[in-house]
Amino acid sequence: MPNPFAPNGLREAGPANSGLRRPEGLTSVPDVSTMVDPGSGAVDRAIFTDRTVYDTEMRRIFARSWLFLAHRDQFHKPGDFFQTFMGEDPIIVTMDKQKRIRAYLNSCRHRGARVCRADEGQAKAFTCTYHGWSFGLDGSLISVPNSGGYPETFQREDWGLVEVPNVQEYHGLIFGNWDPDAMSLEEDLGDMRWYLDAMLDRDPEGTVVVGGVMKWVLHGNWKLAAEQFATDWYHVNMSHASALQVLSPTGQGPKKEIAERTGRQFHNDHGHAHGFPVHPKNRFDAKTVHQWYDYDALRERLGDSRVEGPLTNGHGTVFPNFSYLPINGSIRVWHPKGPDRMEVWAWTILDRSMPEEVREAQRLYNLRTFGPSGIFEQDDGENWSECQAIAHGFMTNTTPLNYQMGIGSDREEPGYPGTTSELLSDSAGRAFYRRWAELMRTPAWHEQA
Amino acid sequence: MTDTSMTETGTTDTGTIDTGTNDTGTIDHLPHPTGFGPAADAQQEVEGPLVDAGFGYLVQQFYYHEAEVLDEGRYADWLELFDDDLHYWLPTRSNRTRRQQALSVARPGEAAFYDETKESLAWRIRRYDSGMAWSEDPPSRTRHLVTNVVVRRRPQTEQAGTEQSGTEPVATETGTVAAREFTARSAFIVYRSRLEREVDIYAGSRTDLLRLHPDGRLRVARRTILLESNVLLAKNISTFF
Repeated sequence: MPNPFAPNGLREAGPANSGLRRPEGLTSVPDVSTMVDPGSGAVDRAIFTDRTVYDTEMRRIFARSWLFLAHRDQFHKPGDFFQTFMGEDPIIVTMDKQKRIRAYLNSCRHRGARVCRADEGQAKAFTCTYHGWSFGLDGSLISVPNSGGYPETFQREDWGLVEVPNVQEYHGLIFGNWDPDAMSLEEDLGDMRWYLDAMLDRDPEGTVVVGGVMKWVLHGNWKLAAEQFATDWYHVNMSHASALQVLSPTGQGPKKEIAERTGRQFHNDHGHAHGFPVHPKNRFDAKTVHQWYDYDALRERLGDSRVEGPLTNGHGTVFPNFSYLPINGSIRVWHPKGPDRMEVWAWTILDRSMPEEVREAQRLYNLRTFGPSGIFEQDDGENWSECQAIAHGFMTNTTPLNYQMGIGSDREEPGYPGTTSELLSDSAGRAFYRRWAELMRTPAWHEQA
Repeated sequence: MTDTSMTETGTTDTGTIDTGTNDTGTIDHLPHPTGFGPAADAQQEVEGPLVDAGFGYLVQQFYYHEAEVLDEGRYADWLELFDDDLHYWLPTRSNRTRRQQALSVARPGEAAFYDETKESLAWRIRRYDSGMAWSEDPPSRTRHLVTNVVVRRRPQTEQAGTEQSGTEPVATETGTVAAREFTARSAFIVYRSRLEREVDIYAGSRTDLLRLHPDGRLRVARRTILLESNVLLAKNISTFF
């Protein structure tokens, strides 16, 4: 596929040889990869606050990684659309007339306004409210008011919506990637699929999505949440002490054996990770959901090590900003909104075979525990915004943070694909930042001549 | 002082309570001011007649009391203001075109910030007693402002089949009084000041099914809350509305 971007980062579509060029001062990128040191487990706190670092993330991470767009179940008919973001870029995801899922930059090619201003819905075309340029479900420019005023060289084919060149689906989850030469989503996930499948492939019928998305704003850098879901089970007993107390049968908090249980934490070279406690009696928390599952059949289908681990427990992150919680059926994106802010979008997914009352039990368990009002996630929001709020002090900003837990504990553990560490470990966090540094120092597809 | 004494005070003031035994004093017997007229009549038929000023005043006081209880963090007392068969619901809202507005509020069974029973609210509230509920420790300072209170008698057709929760008629000194149901709409702004200088403002509406029990206690049996927001502009919701 030809590179649609000129070497200087400006898209070539439109009039050939437009003559546009960006001066180098605007396109030069400092090497910020030395701000993390996964080997020693140190992280420079400015990666959470610095504007240049953030802009480089947009350019070198978000413009070239597989980013979650939507669940397949959100689209049934041609014209069903959903608006989301890739990095800070507004994106329309829609089903075209051939029932293919396609994704476009939600920005009119004329003056740049959004051509879709609803979160979701049904459309025959996307029409800009500014001057009326109208775009079909295939992204093509289908109508230009007063088009007689344009020169003969004006070709509508040149001015279609910018399309996300790679849109792929994995077990119902739709991801997009701006890199036309990106490796396939499956290949990028690699061993992570074994862990993801413990949630996405419990049911041979796949998953469905609960209507509506919980969306809220947090004053915290997007990485605070993404790395936590990748690597941090350590926070559970303290951050969520009150929720664990309420959930425990005695009301006194979890038994010592539960609070101190061990488990595994997987990561791979692409920064994808999932950590989970391991216990033969791990189960779904929502009673109706627990009673519905046939754990023996699941052992048959997914194997003992998955049923005793990632089937129900822990949480994971698909690098960079998609995370999930199997026990809740919660999937979420941490949309970056500047160095100091993220927007969380959370969906609930359910196994398609679940009868109505089981679906309802899972939905209710999720919204009561996770999401902005959930008894667990309320406290996550509190801690992330706490970390961010004081990160701009000169001394706080220049004092390195500690990611040393579990250094040296990585190993190949029978029963678990890839490399795993202990449950309580920063190993996946170090892998997250190793991947981050690798991408941050490597020019992306749009920067290559 | 708990809510009970307040509502009991209401029942002793028999002249102001709309017991449903007669229509005297309800607004639908007053001449319509200019601008009301047929449209208002139609609205009355659909939504039920407004209660009289006395009962409306009591409902307002009930809501002010509730706001105070919440702002003082007395969540166990707050829970007492609800009937046991409570459904407490705050669905999410999406930003949709005018043509597709009907879909802008998440339906039952879809995404919600609250979708609670009395039991699940109790579960949420117990958390605050742990001393480790960090989203409210140190506690936020909140101010619940409740306004635009409109209270209507439920149309008779909807009164049928609500025998549960003590709506059977009971004999009192003033005659036979049936427990009655009302629909009360209200608007709110909740201001939250958190830690040193964080501020959140939640604005929205509530539609309640209120029950006036034979013993004079007023209780909320259903509450639907709509926030006037799409993306929630707050890091969490750790208060109630």
